[in-house]
Formats: sequence, structure tokens, C-alpha cells
Amino acid sequence: MGQAISGGLTQRDVDEVISICKGAWNQYEIESLYKRFRSLDRGRKGYISAEELMSIPELSINPLAQRLVRSFESVNFVDFARLLAAFSDRASYEEKVRFIFRVYDVDGDGLVTHDDMQIMLRQLAGSSLSDDDIAWVVRKALQEAGSPQGLSLEAFKATLHAEDLAGMTVTVPTEL
Amino acid sequence: MPAGHQLPDSLTTAEDGDADVDGLEIEKAYVEAEAERLQSQQKSLLAVMLNINSVLTDAAAAMVDDSFLKCFTSAAPDPWNWNFYLAPIWLLGMLFRHLVLFPLRLTLLLTSHLLFFMVFFTVKLGMPSSALKLRVEQRLIRFLCGMYVASWTGVIKFHGPKPVPEGGHVWVANHTSMIDYIILSSYTAFAVIMQLHPGWVGFLQTTVLDSLGCLWFNRTQAKDRSLVAQRMADHVADPNTTPLLIFPEGTCVNNEYCVMFKRGAFDMGATVHPVAIKYNKIFVDAFWNSKRLSFTQHLVRLMSSWAVVCDVYFLEPQSRREDESVDEFAARVQAMIAKQAKLRVVPWDGYLKYYNLGEKHPGLIEKRRKVFADQLKTFLPAGGAVGSSKQEAAPAAAAAAAAAAAGKKGSKKAN
Repeated sequence: MGQAISGGLTQRDVDEVISICKGAWNQYEIESLYKRFRSLDRGRKGYISAEELMSIPELSINPLAQRLVRSFESVNFVDFARLLAAFSDRASYEEKVRFIFRVYDVDGDGLVTHDDMQIMLRQLAGSSLSDDDIAWVVRKALQEAGSPQGLSLEAFKATLHAEDLAGMTVTVPTEL
Repeated sequence: MPAGHQLPDSLTTAEDGDADVDGLEIEKAYVEAEAERLQSQQKSLLAVMLNINSVLTDAAAAMVDDSFLKCFTSAAPDPWNWNFYLAPIWLLGMLFRHLVLFPLRLTLLLTSHLLFFMVFFTVKLGMPSSALKLRVEQRLIRFLCGMYVASWTGVIKFHGPKPVPEGGHVWVANHTSMIDYIILSSYTAFAVIMQLHPGWVGFLQTTVLDSLGCLWFNRTQAKDRSLVAQRMADHVADPNTTPLLIFPEGTCVNNEYCVMFKRGAFDMGATVHPVAIKYNKIFVDAFWNSKRLSFTQHLVRLMSSWAVVCDVYFLEPQSRREDESVDEFAARVQAMIAKQAKLRVVPWDGYLKYYNLGEKHPGLIEKRRKVFADQLKTFLPAGGAVGSSKQEAAPAAAAAAAAAAAGKKGSKKAN
């Protein structure tokens, strides 16, 4: 009568997550993330609701809380691990830039347009920048990138270098 | 959290001191951390705007682990049914617990409740108010609590001198479950400040415990708090009342951590008696996660386990020193209790379980946003976006927007 200490995670599940995350997480980190997912997901629904995410105090005071919660709510565990994979220290520069790009691309059309940037800047700067300031910044940014329709992933890659994103890692606490 | 920075204590005070939240500590921890990170040599506007990695990393770190929710998780119990002979023994034990012990205990509890109510209400309605009546009621409540402890076959060891009623003294303890009160009351009667619960618990609270001078409140109502504070002070000052027990954490914590102590109990100028309660999780975890279980379910769980094992330590009474502030006093007493009960102290306010920090303190988010905005502002021409829109060779798509903005600003200026 063995008891599954990991609460239902089989080796096959772990292998699947490892391959989907392209090796960003190792087995112990996945176990830890799974425990975390289960503790956040009250009622064993299989996904974390927006309210449960916002009950994390440190997340609720983050300027981009709303934007991120929209990507993270209602995802199952595999997607949860995949989304966070960009923050592993084994994640490539490519993955980190792509994550930032996807956050900025609010409407998800593959291009960070004028509207996307306005929404994001409003979230990032709050009431400290007026509407005119934001409009000006957006214009100047599009100008600098040289593409009036919007910024592509390439523009992000050209602007953000590897050393800029060096701090973009989180440590998953493992029992070891 | 910005990496390597602790959320300052003033932030997590649940009091109406909004002045505290705006204090210098917040500036330091949050804002300067951001400013340090964004401080860099000549960077283009695009680089500053797009590099939001610190905000994202903090969010991701919070999602992966945070020190607040840790205080309310129960460790999975260690199973011991590891092999072919331990497993059947465990199974027999389980059947015995659920089919023999539990019904016996439930019968005991219900019978003693019946007995208690008969005598208690006779006394309550029959006897005139007097010191004797209070003593009789206390004795009866002690009996009932003792029966509760018996219904879990509780093994409770009390260490330290037994409390005696005295004016100007108050007792504080760490909080794991409502049974904390029952365990302490089985030893010596206490009055308590508690959240009013619905159902049969609320009935017991209002009809029975009221006689001891217990104070009920609704933790989400701010007005309640000041009323309670006054009644608390009155109760403590009177030497003829039952000793007052306060749980300064304000919420049930999992007996591994100790969340922030609220200052109410320490602000009254009374001598504080710290009481440390440590549960031995060997048979059952006594932490009551009120979000997952109702109190009845919690009691059923306790009653169908082998025993509740607990150590209660009555520590040396403390008074506030002259050079100590109320918060420092509370922290000192908290450290004493945490050390005895082997708990880790965390600076979070227990009430964060019930409200969203970002909603209650939007100023915090705005302060962090301001740092980002200031970085961008260094690129704005002097005087804001106003003057520039005329001179800029704006791309065709944005020309209309620029003209509109200029026009709007121009008319504003003219006024």
C-alpha cells in the first residue's frame, strides 16, 4: 500500500513537463512547482483562479499583476510550468525575450502596436505619466525602432541584450 | 519582492495608520530598489521602456513561492503503513478509531453538553449576579472544556505557574485553532476576544461564554475594532473579571510560523503574560484551516484521531519598558513565544488572509510605478509632452494624434 508522497505526479508526467519546458526545470523543481500549484489551487479544480493568484500578497502589489493574472488564470499545471520556464536559470535568452514580448503584446497579434504599448505603459507607470506623456513616449519608441506599425520580436531582441536579462531568474525552492 | 528586500513592518500593520504606510521605510525598500536597478548609463528610451524584467521577475518569484501562504499550509502526514504487516495494523487502527472511539467520544461530548446546559442555565437564570455566580459559571465552563479535551483524548501538559485573575493583567497566546481556547479554559477559565461564528458555535459563544465577559467582533469591520478596544480596556482594569486571553495574530496559523502580533493587547498599559502553545503533530495536525474546513469538520477530525498532544507554556509576565514603543513590546513578546514554541516569525499581517494587499494599499503599487515613470520622464522634453509635439518630425500614422494633442494643449494653454 504505497502512498504517493508527491500527490499524484507520475514519472511520465514529469518527463512530459521536462520536454515541454525544453529542460528549463529539472525533476525536483517540477515536484516543487506541482506542490505549489496544488496549494494555490483550492478545491482541486486543476487550475488556479484569478482570486487565488491575487491572494498572494507580493503578487497583488505588483504593477503588472492584472496583466499576468490574465495569462496565468485557468491554466493547468503543464502550462503553469511552461509559462514560468522563462524564469529558470537554464532558460535561453531567446525564451526570456519572447516572454517579455508576449507580455507586451496585449492583443497577441505578434506585433507590439501603439495600442499595446499604451495599455502596458499605463500599467507600468500608473498615474505618474499623463495621457499625453504616454502618447509621446509611444511615438518616440516607434520612431526609434524605425517601424511605425509596431515592434516585432526582432526589435525586442535588438534592444534587450543578454546582460539586461541576466537578473530574470527565480529559484524554485526544492527540498534538497 | 524586489530581490533581497524585506517588506518593512510598517507596511503590514493592519491599523488605520495610513501614515505608517507612507513612511520612509517604504520609500527605501521598494522605491530605491527599483531606482537602483533602473539607474544606468545612457540608455535609449526603447531600452528603458522594454526592459520590464525586474517587475516580471518579482511577479514570477511571488508565484513560485511566498512566505505568507506558507504560514497556512499543513505538511502532509507521514504514513507508517509501509509494509505487509504494518498496513493491516494501520487499517485496524483506522477502523477502531472511526467505528469505536469516535461514537464513544461523540456520546460523551453530547451527554456532557446536556448536563452542562441543564446546570448552567439553572445557575444563569436562577442565581442573582454575584462573585459566587461567576465562579460557579467559570467552574462549569471549565468542566465543559475538560470534556472537549477528553473527547479527543487530549494529552495536554501545562508548564509554568497557573494563571490567577488580577486587574491590569492580560494573557496573549499564539493561535492555531479555536481549540486553543478550549485547551486553556479546561485548565483555568479565560475570557476571550474572538470572531463571532455562525451556527452552533455562535450559539455557544453568545449564550454561554458571554457570562465570562467575552468580547465578540467582526474582523472586517473597522468600527468594531475601536469599540472592542474600549471594552477590552475596561475588562482588563477590573480585578473581578475573568482573565482575558487575546490572540494577537488575529488568525489561525499552522503552528510552524508566527505572523505579526497586533498591538491592541500591548497598548493597554497592562502586564502581559505570554502563553506559548505547541502541538505535537504525531497523531493529528491541530491546525484549523478555516478556509478548507468548518469547525465541526475540524472537531470530527480531531475526535477520530488517536489523541491530541499539546504543550502549553505559561511564560514570565512582561511589562512595557520605558524606552520601548508598543510595537517593539509586541515584537519582544512575540519573540519569546516563538522561541518557546519553536515558531518562525514572519512580518506579515494575518489579516492578509482576508483582504487583497494591492487593493487595500494601492499607494504601494503607485510608488513602484512612479519609479518607472521617472525613468521614462528623463526622455521627455522639458515641460512635458507639450512643446515637443510641434517640433517633432512625427511618422505619418502618429501625425494626426500629434496635431490633436498639440491642438488640445494649445487651447488649454490659452485659457
